[in-house]
Amino acid sequence: MRRRSNIPSGVVGAPLDLRTQDEAKRQGCPSVVDGRLRTYAPGDNAGRFVDILGHRVSRPLAVSLAACVHCGLCAESCHYFLARPDDPTMTPVWKADQIRKIFKRHVDWTGRVAPWWVKAGSPRDDEDLNRLKNIVFGACSACRRCTYNCPMGVDTALLVRFARGLLTELGIVPEGVFNVSRDEWETGNQMAVTETDYLETLEWMRDELRSELGTDAVDIPVDKPDCEILYTINPREIKFDPRSIAHAARIFHAAGVSWTLPKRGWDQTNFGLFSGDDKLGGFVARNVYEAADRLRARRIVISECGHGYRSTRWEGYNWAGCDQKLPTESVVVTLKRLLEEGRIAVDRGRNPEPVTFHDSCNIARSGDLVEQPREVLRRVCADFREMHPNRRENFCCTGGGGLLSMAEYRPLRLEAGRIKADQLRATGASVVCTMCHNCIDGLADVIKHYRLPMRVVQVLELVSKALVLPGQP
Amino acid sequence: MSSLLKILENEVQIAALAFMGLVYSVRLAWVFRFKIGRDRTLPAGSGRSGTGYSLMSIAMPWAMESTRKRPGRYVEFVVFHLGVAAAIAASFIIPYGPGLFETAWVRASFQALIAAAGFVGLVRLARRLTDPVLRAISSPDDYFSLALLIFWLAAGVLAAPNRPQAGEGPLAAFFGLTAFFLVYVPFSKISHYLYYPFTRIYLGRALGHRGAWPPAAAKAAGARPAGEDAA
Ligand code: SF4
Ligand code: SF4
Repeated sequence: MRRRSNIPSGVVGAPLDLRTQDEAKRQGCPSVVDGRLRTYAPGDNAGRFVDILGHRVSRPLAVSLAACVHCGLCAESCHYFLARPDDPTMTPVWKADQIRKIFKRHVDWTGRVAPWWVKAGSPRDDEDLNRLKNIVFGACSACRRCTYNCPMGVDTALLVRFARGLLTELGIVPEGVFNVSRDEWETGNQMAVTETDYLETLEWMRDELRSELGTDAVDIPVDKPDCEILYTINPREIKFDPRSIAHAARIFHAAGVSWTLPKRGWDQTNFGLFSGDDKLGGFVARNVYEAADRLRARRIVISECGHGYRSTRWEGYNWAGCDQKLPTESVVVTLKRLLEEGRIAVDRGRNPEPVTFHDSCNIARSGDLVEQPREVLRRVCADFREMHPNRRENFCCTGGGGLLSMAEYRPLRLEAGRIKADQLRATGASVVCTMCHNCIDGLADVIKHYRLPMRVVQVLELVSKALVLPGQP
Repeated sequence: MSSLLKILENEVQIAALAFMGLVYSVRLAWVFRFKIGRDRTLPAGSGRSGTGYSLMSIAMPWAMESTRKRPGRYVEFVVFHLGVAAAIAASFIIPYGPGLFETAWVRASFQALIAAAGFVGLVRLARRLTDPVLRAISSPDDYFSLALLIFWLAAGVLAAPNRPQAGEGPLAAFFGLTAFFLVYVPFSKISHYLYYPFTRIYLGRALGHRGAWPPAAAKAAGARPAGEDAA
């Protein structure tokens, strides 16, 4: 498994790092012991991969695998290829072909009879699977930009997630993916935040807010039943950015919204989306839906997070196998409604700097929100300007697909970030706003690497800054 | 016309068509063998509108950045596919409605379209052979299918006058290649048109349900903006 590939794209040769897996086995982590989280075991993994592929492939996947005509039109939609225009292995079609060839060899027709004719092939050994791991985890942020640009309607990002899921089943995953999946299985949130940390951080934010606003009426309630809103957050907010919770609390207080965070089931992020593990996806999403049910909330509101929104609003119900009953929306939609209903007053003069907006791939291309954040930003910013391309044609922040947790692919990710850097620079804005915690880190990396004179903020922060509170200056 | 050419234009074509139909039926049964799940989420848009938009995107080069930025490729696509359609039509007109090709301008239009498609085919083949990106993703089937189409289109141009008395070569080549095509196509990438409705419908339905397609849906007068669930 330490053999290096001679394919030029660098990341393709990254070895399989088993240190965390070995450690988890030694410690007897419950999710590893009971088989929810798979670890790598030498053996006929190539055969097992083919077997699982044959059983798991759905009709939309099968037609996406069969339909590609190798026209290459998707190439220039990918930020990896745009950053490395001389490297065919960076094209979406080449990446998808590494999965497609296995499908053709084992499931499709011609590939079974005359594999060389259609470039069909089998993974020979674990090294081949490791190579595939590096392609689908390391050279694709699953941004779905190529999907939107394929004339045939081939969903390459879906194929990439599918392949990731098969490899996850064999424990052939980047160390970061294993780590985060383990944390999510074992603690219910992807940063292993303990209940004490969670509750203490919320209390800390509540106390700060009370002293800032000079009233004890403002609260960050936990497990309050029968509220209008069940607010779910990204663990990053507890660990690194608790102010974002305070911003939400400040706005909800001003609007007189009845809301609560749940004690359990508060993590709206979902690593199952990135690892391709639908079981993990269903487990995490179900925690949120059960919390809403338990507390009889009337609406689930998801804080600003791209993949969290996509997972909780769209994919999670399907992974968890439960029909959606409650409205499930992004906090940006909530903010828009509060502004439209006149429940909060804002002064856009409080955000005078030029602000641009970065659309999160998971929200714009795999979700449904593009106009709503803009409507909010136009109300709270004095100088809002678009970056180009935008909306569903925007480029990834580079951190999509869980790539921020995979350190071994960072150099390639930042190289591909040149496209994003050019886009940001061209706006002339000093602030880039995004409604995604992942994008915050992805953009911050790009800004630092390419030395851009910008900072990243979220919609909640700008709304909170523009908020006009009665009796406050 | 020799009896051999007559058989080639009729019985052989019918047999090849029947074979193609049979293989396609099996192929469709194969596609339907794969399962498809039900979407359990509340819609933010319309799966039906999304599907319509997705299927119509073929006629909207402005809808995709990839065709918007390369209008030439889109023109190639249109010419190539219209030429292929004309050549397919010619394979029926010659044996079953030869009168149509007796009108000079009709015949000339068909020939021009088929020839233009053949030229596009040559451009595409040259690109596939010389562009390192396309070379890296191409299989023997990609080259062979394209080369075969070019020969077939060339034969179609020569066969259109339908004058066996002046030599049966062009007609025999055209119908021989047509029969070969009908048998080969279901096993090659040329059968992509069979999958096109599936990929487009599934993608369109999913993105339509989420309100992402059609892109202007959120702005449609009176429509609830996508993403804003009713309470
Ligand atoms: S644009 Fe679509 S059909 Fe063309 S190479 Fe890319 S995935 Fe294949
Ligand atoms: S999903 Fe995004 S990163 Fe992946 S191949 Fe397509 S365009 Fe490139």
